[in-house]
Amino acid sequence: MIVLQANGITKRFPGVLALDKVDLAVNSGEAHCVVGENGAGKSTLVKVLTGLYRADEGTVSIGGTAVHHGDPAFRAVAYVPQELNLFGHMTVAENLFLPFDQSGVRSPIFSRRRCEQQALAYLDKLQMRASPGDEVNEIPVAEQQLLQVARALANDKFQVLILDEPTASLTKPEVDRLFTVIDLLRREGKAIVFITHKLEEVFRLNDVVTVLRNGQLAGHSRVDQVSVDWIIKRMTGKEVDLEQVYRPTKPPGKTLLEVRGLAGVRFQDVGFSLREGEILGFAGLVGAGRTEIMQTIFGYLPQKRGEVRFLGEPWRFRDPSYAIRKGLLYLSEERKAQGIFAHLSVQDNVCSLLLKQVSRAGVLDSSKERAKTRSVIEGYNVRARSGEQEIEFLSGGNQQKVLIGRTMEASPRVLFLDEPTRGIDVKAKDEIYALMKRIAEEQRVGIVLISSELEELLKCANRIITIYHGQIHGELQANQLTMERVLSSVIGIGEQPAPPARA
Amino acid sequence: MRGGWGKLLEVLAGRKLGKLSGVLGAFVLIFVASCFISSNFLTGYNLAIMARDLAFIGIVAIAQGLLLLLGDIDISIGAIAGLCAVVCAKLLVDYHLNPVLAMAVGVAAGALMGCINGFLITGFNLNSLVLTIGTQTAFTGLNLLVTRGRTIVGLPENVTFLGAGSLIGVPIPVFFMIGVFLVALFITTKTVFGRKLYAVGNSREAAKIVGIKEDNVRITAYAIAGTFSGLAGILMAFRLISAQTAIGQTWVLPSIAAPVIGGIATTGGIGTISGALIGGAIMGVIGNIIVLGGVDVYWQQVFNGAIVVLAIIIDSLTRRIGKKA
Repeated sequence: MIVLQANGITKRFPGVLALDKVDLAVNSGEAHCVVGENGAGKSTLVKVLTGLYRADEGTVSIGGTAVHHGDPAFRAVAYVPQELNLFGHMTVAENLFLPFDQSGVRSPIFSRRRCEQQALAYLDKLQMRASPGDEVNEIPVAEQQLLQVARALANDKFQVLILDEPTASLTKPEVDRLFTVIDLLRREGKAIVFITHKLEEVFRLNDVVTVLRNGQLAGHSRVDQVSVDWIIKRMTGKEVDLEQVYRPTKPPGKTLLEVRGLAGVRFQDVGFSLREGEILGFAGLVGAGRTEIMQTIFGYLPQKRGEVRFLGEPWRFRDPSYAIRKGLLYLSEERKAQGIFAHLSVQDNVCSLLLKQVSRAGVLDSSKERAKTRSVIEGYNVRARSGEQEIEFLSGGNQQKVLIGRTMEASPRVLFLDEPTRGIDVKAKDEIYALMKRIAEEQRVGIVLISSELEELLKCANRIITIYHGQIHGELQANQLTMERVLSSVIGIGEQPAPPARA
Repeated sequence: MRGGWGKLLEVLAGRKLGKLSGVLGAFVLIFVASCFISSNFLTGYNLAIMARDLAFIGIVAIAQGLLLLLGDIDISIGAIAGLCAVVCAKLLVDYHLNPVLAMAVGVAAGALMGCINGFLITGFNLNSLVLTIGTQTAFTGLNLLVTRGRTIVGLPENVTFLGAGSLIGVPIPVFFMIGVFLVALFITTKTVFGRKLYAVGNSREAAKIVGIKEDNVRITAYAIAGTFSGLAGILMAFRLISAQTAIGQTWVLPSIAAPVIGGIATTGGIGTISGALIGGAIMGVIGNIIVLGGVDVYWQQVFNGAIVVLAIIIDSLTRRIGKKA
């Protein structure tokens, strides 16, 4: 029996078609896996299914009736988001039952004892070690993740449980507990939607799999009728069009950066080197530690162990201003929070990195400011009305070109680009790829490109390093680069054995 | 059209007159309306009263404006002014110090108190509102400790004219305010420090990524704000020809309200120093016309409060509309 059905769901965001006529049917007593690369549209689909987003086209039906945005029928869909969103300073039991209107605890007077007593049943179901009275901040992350699942179960109306990459921070015993609960729920006739990157989990649940790619349905089958290869082929789609490769072609020059045994927040024992004029790709799942590695070298996050040599000299992990002075620059993936100054003009955004260049004795020289801004706008093909325009009102692609342009005006030797095309439309992406190639070939800058889009890495990088759970999992040279090989390495299968499971 | 006046206005508005035209228009409207409401409004005597009041509120509004641009707030601004007034007065009356030196020490005390705020806030990663509520109490306490709650009288006449006197019909504190305004305008629009101020106010993380040392910027801003507040307090003592513990105690709210009315967002990064000053002027005119219009004394505070609330709502609405555009 179909409990949750989506028909022809289309969802557009400015400049992006996130979902394109996607169909999905979830049966009771079934675990329906949804797989796809980052940006394939999994999270958007989940948000439509849970009623958080309103679809532009198409319908969602629950229990056979079409439901509209804001319909209370969405309560039948329980949802466990990927990222933790718990009330850290409240107890496990309170978190479980908040806001107290969907669960057994339903009284205007709050009784701590009754609340905690009723919580026990749910905690036992997931074999959690935490007690109902514990403060959430003080229980381990894995337990918090399980608490999120328990919270979804506490919704007494639920017929469908959606889990968005629930095992990301769980170790093996906890994963086992989670799967036991899923089996139990299946037997009870509940439907499960299981979003994952890990193909072994798809085969373990062994029910139904749906593959999404670029917002479209790329495949749908019973799991026992398909192979790992079948799924990977559908996740990655066609081979990269070789006509459109932006890899630097000039041979790389001398070594700029040498990293040995580096450890920091969420990564350990990382070593690699970067040479002049090459683009070194970093692949990995979101949260694998790629961003943290680069931010640590940049001086933004604290370094724990290991050493880095920059142009042969020992590197000091001080702060970003030191790195910038030395010629190592970083462009964040969080363009809004860590990139642009939203309310300032394009000119002020450009000059914020170049204050020494546009001033004398602390006083700004407005003609120099204008000249720098003009050279960024013209040199990087930024479409802005003028340098006075607030950067907030530029498109994402143009904002990114401003940021890359200002970074280049600071004459870097090494450039870390963290997801430089996130949220940018296809045409602007190509412009940015061409820009990276030009920077590498003409200015001989060594570029580290962090990207969750394999296609992007395959188009642009000379070499690709894959990171899995905070460690280097493999390194692939340009001639070995195929989608399947990189993807296998990213999800932790492939040449090397998976690293030991450590917290 | 783009003659000398346009240029001047543009400079006063801190490069972008467009953003300020609303506040400036509101000011002109309120000013003209006031002329019709009361025939006593547009008299030299009344204008001088308003100007003198604006001088003090204007200086502290500019000081507070610098911190609001950072996304910070300083509740101790009035207490700093009061303590600086006492320090300066005590040096003049009890130690007969050279007046210029006494003023300099008083103002330096303001800078020092600002630095203390800044160091504590950045060093321990504190919320500026909460910390300065604490230091406000401490600075007021120091004031009472030094004066034992008594007013310091007998300030020499060769300094008190700076607060009480007039030059060509304009109260002298107004010249100080214009000086402070020009300095602050220069800092915010023409210096590297000013750019860093706006950058940190927009996004601390993004500022760090472009190599701005956020802590230094914030401490410096607190020191500047303390300096300006100290100057306002000292001038007030000169005007009253005595240093009273009450100096500055009513300044905190207007110092916040004026910049907000003038378009500086409390979340930081948006607005101009000129806006802060115009906001102060709007408050001054309204406060004045309420009195001249014969509004009951007890209603005046209600009016003032309502105006601030209205300004904040308008600010929020315009920003929402701006986002949609």
